[in-house]
Amino acid sequence: MTQPATPAQQDAPMPAAKSAPDKGGSRRPLGLRLDVRNLSLLGVLAVLVAVGGITKPDEFLATSNLQLVLTQASVIGVVTVGMTFVITSGGIDLSVGAIVALASVWATTVATQEYGFTGILFTAVIVGVGCGLVNGLLIAYGRMVPFIATLAMLASARGLALQITDGKTQIVTVDSVLDLGIRDAYILGIPPLVLVFAAVTVIGWLVLGRTTFGRRTVAVGGNAEAARLAGIDVRRQRLYLYLLSGLCCGIAAFMLIVLAGSGQNTNGNLYELDAIAAAIIGGTLLSGGRGTIVGSVLGVLVFTTITNIFALNNLESAVQQIAKGAIIVAAVLVQHRTLRGGDA
Amino acid sequence: MAPEPPLLTMSGITKSFPGVRALDGVDLEVQAGEVHCLLGQNGAGKSTLIKVLAGAHQPDGGEITWRGEAVALKSPIAAMRLGIATIYQELDLVEGLSVAENVFLGHEPTTAGIVVRGGTARTAAAGLLKRLGHPEIDPSRLVGDLSAAQQQIVSMARALSHEVRLIVMDEPSAALDPDEVDNLFRIVGDLTADGVAVVYISHRLEEIRRIGDRVTVLKDGRAVAVGLPAKSTPTRDVVALMTGRNVEYVFPERPAAGAAAGREPVLRVEGLTRQGEFAPVDLELRPGEIVGLAGLVGSGRSEILETVYGARRADAGRVLVDGTVLRPGSVRAAVRAGIGLAPEERKAQGLLMLESVTRNVSISTLSRFSRSGWLDHRAERAAAQQATRELSLRPDNPDARIRTLSGGNQQKAVLARWLLRGCKVLLLDEPTRGVDVGARAELYAVIRRLADEGLAVLLVSSEVPEVLGLADRVLVLREGSVVHTADARELDEHRVLDLVMEGS
Amino acid sequence: MPETPSTSRRGLLFGTAAISAGALLTACTSNEPKKQEAATDNAPVADDKPGKAVTIGFAGPQADHGWLNAINQNAKSRAERYSDVTLEITEGSNDTAAQIGQVQTLINKKVDVLVILPADGKALTQVGLQAMKAGIPVVNLDRIFASPQAYRCWIGGDNYGMGLNAGNYIGEQLKDKPNAKVIELAGLDNLELTKQRTQGFDDALKNYPNIKKVARQAADFTVESGQAKMAQLLQAQSQFDALWNHDDDQGVGALRAIAQAGRKDFLMVGGAGAKSAMDAIKADDSVLKATVLYPPTMAASAIDLARALGQGKGVSGMAELEIPASLTLYSAVVTKDNVDEYLPTGFN
Repeated sequence: MTQPATPAQQDAPMPAAKSAPDKGGSRRPLGLRLDVRNLSLLGVLAVLVAVGGITKPDEFLATSNLQLVLTQASVIGVVTVGMTFVITSGGIDLSVGAIVALASVWATTVATQEYGFTGILFTAVIVGVGCGLVNGLLIAYGRMVPFIATLAMLASARGLALQITDGKTQIVTVDSVLDLGIRDAYILGIPPLVLVFAAVTVIGWLVLGRTTFGRRTVAVGGNAEAARLAGIDVRRQRLYLYLLSGLCCGIAAFMLIVLAGSGQNTNGNLYELDAIAAAIIGGTLLSGGRGTIVGSVLGVLVFTTITNIFALNNLESAVQQIAKGAIIVAAVLVQHRTLRGGDA
Repeated sequence: MAPEPPLLTMSGITKSFPGVRALDGVDLEVQAGEVHCLLGQNGAGKSTLIKVLAGAHQPDGGEITWRGEAVALKSPIAAMRLGIATIYQELDLVEGLSVAENVFLGHEPTTAGIVVRGGTARTAAAGLLKRLGHPEIDPSRLVGDLSAAQQQIVSMARALSHEVRLIVMDEPSAALDPDEVDNLFRIVGDLTADGVAVVYISHRLEEIRRIGDRVTVLKDGRAVAVGLPAKSTPTRDVVALMTGRNVEYVFPERPAAGAAAGREPVLRVEGLTRQGEFAPVDLELRPGEIVGLAGLVGSGRSEILETVYGARRADAGRVLVDGTVLRPGSVRAAVRAGIGLAPEERKAQGLLMLESVTRNVSISTLSRFSRSGWLDHRAERAAAQQATRELSLRPDNPDARIRTLSGGNQQKAVLARWLLRGCKVLLLDEPTRGVDVGARAELYAVIRRLADEGLAVLLVSSEVPEVLGLADRVLVLREGSVVHTADARELDEHRVLDLVMEGS
Repeated sequence: MPETPSTSRRGLLFGTAAISAGALLTACTSNEPKKQEAATDNAPVADDKPGKAVTIGFAGPQADHGWLNAINQNAKSRAERYSDVTLEITEGSNDTAAQIGQVQTLINKKVDVLVILPADGKALTQVGLQAMKAGIPVVNLDRIFASPQAYRCWIGGDNYGMGLNAGNYIGEQLKDKPNAKVIELAGLDNLELTKQRTQGFDDALKNYPNIKKVARQAADFTVESGQAKMAQLLQAQSQFDALWNHDDDQGVGALRAIAQAGRKDFLMVGGAGAKSAMDAIKADDSVLKATVLYPPTMAASAIDLARALGQGKGVSGMAELEIPASLTLYSAVVTKDNVDEYLPTGFN
């Protein structure tokens, strides 16, 4: 129904209208859209894989290591997908780590564990959504700055988690939950947690790119006033976004319970920083208006792969942290460079 | 020409950005004590040229001589040291600092080079502000608390705080009221009398006639005319140079009188009030009709528009579309009822600057292209393309980034948004602000055509000729009250200005 | 889960001595206590009978970890046992400035004795000095002040000894195995105690030339980090013979990672002495065969010391008139053979 319009053939001879430089002119393929930011991150990932493959060929390139890296990326990955939505809308959610902690702790109390698998899953998700709802209401209808509202949530959710556990580690005894983490549960060699991560990623990617919800998210982040004047319910959109982030935290909390076999108030430590860092190096603008799920997930994979390579080479965590910082700076610098090249 | 060498000569200046040749051999010659106007459509290279002059961009080629000597303007500081000051269109002030601190930012009067002498700075700033005709601005106030016009004065004071020989002003009158503009011209006159040269950029030809000495016209990165006499060159010639064709600065023809009169009003505003902004306003708008609101900045014209739209909540009164009362304070209710707004600040309030044309056009109509939330990108793009084609938006490429478009085409994208939605009432707030001369006539034609097709249009503009030329009926506002309502053909600019300033 | 029993089944003043007696006390622990037979019969020694009323101020870090929580519980239940002791316990805090403020408040309240487990020993030295100068004896618990003048008595665990005993236990288990490989899952690397534990472990392994430590990764005392770091270690080392994990809390995660990887081909030694670890040792159905204690019962002992100081008495079971200036607890190795003895001290 639409014929692709190349400016040359369609531009009616109209001397007055000076056509602007038209680099976005050719139509993008409708399939997977990878822009420069993603490409530069793929490059970083390729370099990392090369380094891992050279330094520890037997361990790094094994299937079991791929499974390991993806598993370790899955929990923070799910959190990052939610965070990407929030940042794209021009917001921030500092409470993700605390929500993961609270949800994982609430879902592993002795009382909850009596309800078995469903009880744990349900509780984790409900607690996550509930915290997200509070964040959303405070921000959208209480007119609080996201930074402050989620900072308050960070403090109180961590406090409540500590209150519930009393500092103790709550060990999970529900076998059906624990069994999800072991090798026997792998489906075609893929750990179930990785499947959840993949599903959340694909859904997030579709929602951000293909739905009215995603479009409104970008619009609110790009120019909230313009979105409001265009008839978008900006406040309701914000509420939904923090709900979504809370939902992702709830799912991640359940995944963490499976992985660690326990709930602890220290869970999710500094997830907020890891998720923000992954989203930013992935190419999501901290100021909002532009976000990429693919980039965020690549960002998470870059970080997890670094950790993996360093651990395989038995290097100290101090060195790992330095490398992480360096990668953040390098990735962002490369992006700026490539972006400036494409900018008039 | 003066016997002494020109103050500034730029010759053959070129500057490229990736993919764009912004300046393609521009010449400019400025004499001391003259007002030299720089004209050109958006994208003609004016901004790049003044950034080169301010030392913010380094040219790829060409020569610059300053008082007969070749110079390189390596940085803004280097330009400032020579005595070149620039007042940008987007004011570059720090809102969290005081007026005096802004004026002396970067060259604060200090004791021993360390301790800022705040008192000296305030006294000096007060002197500059007085010289600029604004002694009422307190140097210790925060710049963020000042109005746009006052901020511009501060920006000018900052320029004058240097030893200055050449001031570049980029559309200084865009945010100003007529009396503010008069003050501006008085300042420009004082400066040139002191031998300071002014490079003046404006879209308003009448201003150039009033204060300009000579004109340089830029088009597509080239100077197509250098040093034309500002007062005597016919408008038609200037427009022709800018656009490359002969455009009559004309308004479209109105339909036969009373064509809309027999129709039921689509929009009715009854006793709409907002404390401190405007007194009760009544108005009716019929399909096919363009009604203009004329008034000064602060007369409440934009506020009325935004209150009708629900972006501000009325204290009293109501808005009806097709006889149904709208929920007050709800933009969504207004949009659902068929009202659309092209806001005053196009970039800040109207557009998603990072996004494509399609996405800017479809934003109010997303549900039409979605099935249970999933967007049909093809349908969306096709519909956006159709809507933008109807308005001859250039380039005819729905994927182009909105920020690469000229002001007029950006405005068309906003109109296309509401066209696509099929709205009944269109509220236009300063539709031609930042739109260059050539594109204005085209925009007027588009607006008239939309009205002819049955849309009701409520127009706000600070340019009286625009309201008179485009609207069928005009409401004249003064200090929040409608002081006169008349058929546009019964009014002229003088009469309106009288009403606006004195009342009647 | 049940509260940690903080009282020893033995009647020694040091209820904890049985499991954690420092070298100083070992001589006495071999016998059941005979309270009235203290070496200096005429010297007053503290006992269970009510004496002069003593108010003890207790300031510790935030109980966000199983071991720290057990510390608080031990202190509280020990104090409850004495009708003559009033315990003023502050909100736990990990913030040095906040903790200084809390201790100063206790000084102003003029408590008789202070028990301080500092979030950071060096940083709280000044406030310890302040209390001592104000005439309030300070019992410094575990994390030591920078100056001995800042406390009357220090009691705490032996991090170096913990590593040493873990290393020696593993060494004995593997001594007949040629080219044995050992890995270490350390705790939070920016704590000095982690370095001390590692140092002790390395020193012990030097006695066994057939054993080589092939990898070390640091977790941060949380289950989550234990799982993550252990998973990486398992991937990096396809074969090894023994693992020492510094902390049983992070050990929960480490054991998950081991189960998830389906590995069983090595022996694991834990640290600190969590109940879950002891249960696993007793059940003997996992790789975890032993744990080296870092007993939280030291808090109960600290209360005993504080009470004795407040009442101006010595401690029973010792010849000394005065409370010792320093008591280092012993890091016993808990295995299947002796686990029943220690199980009641295990913390959640």
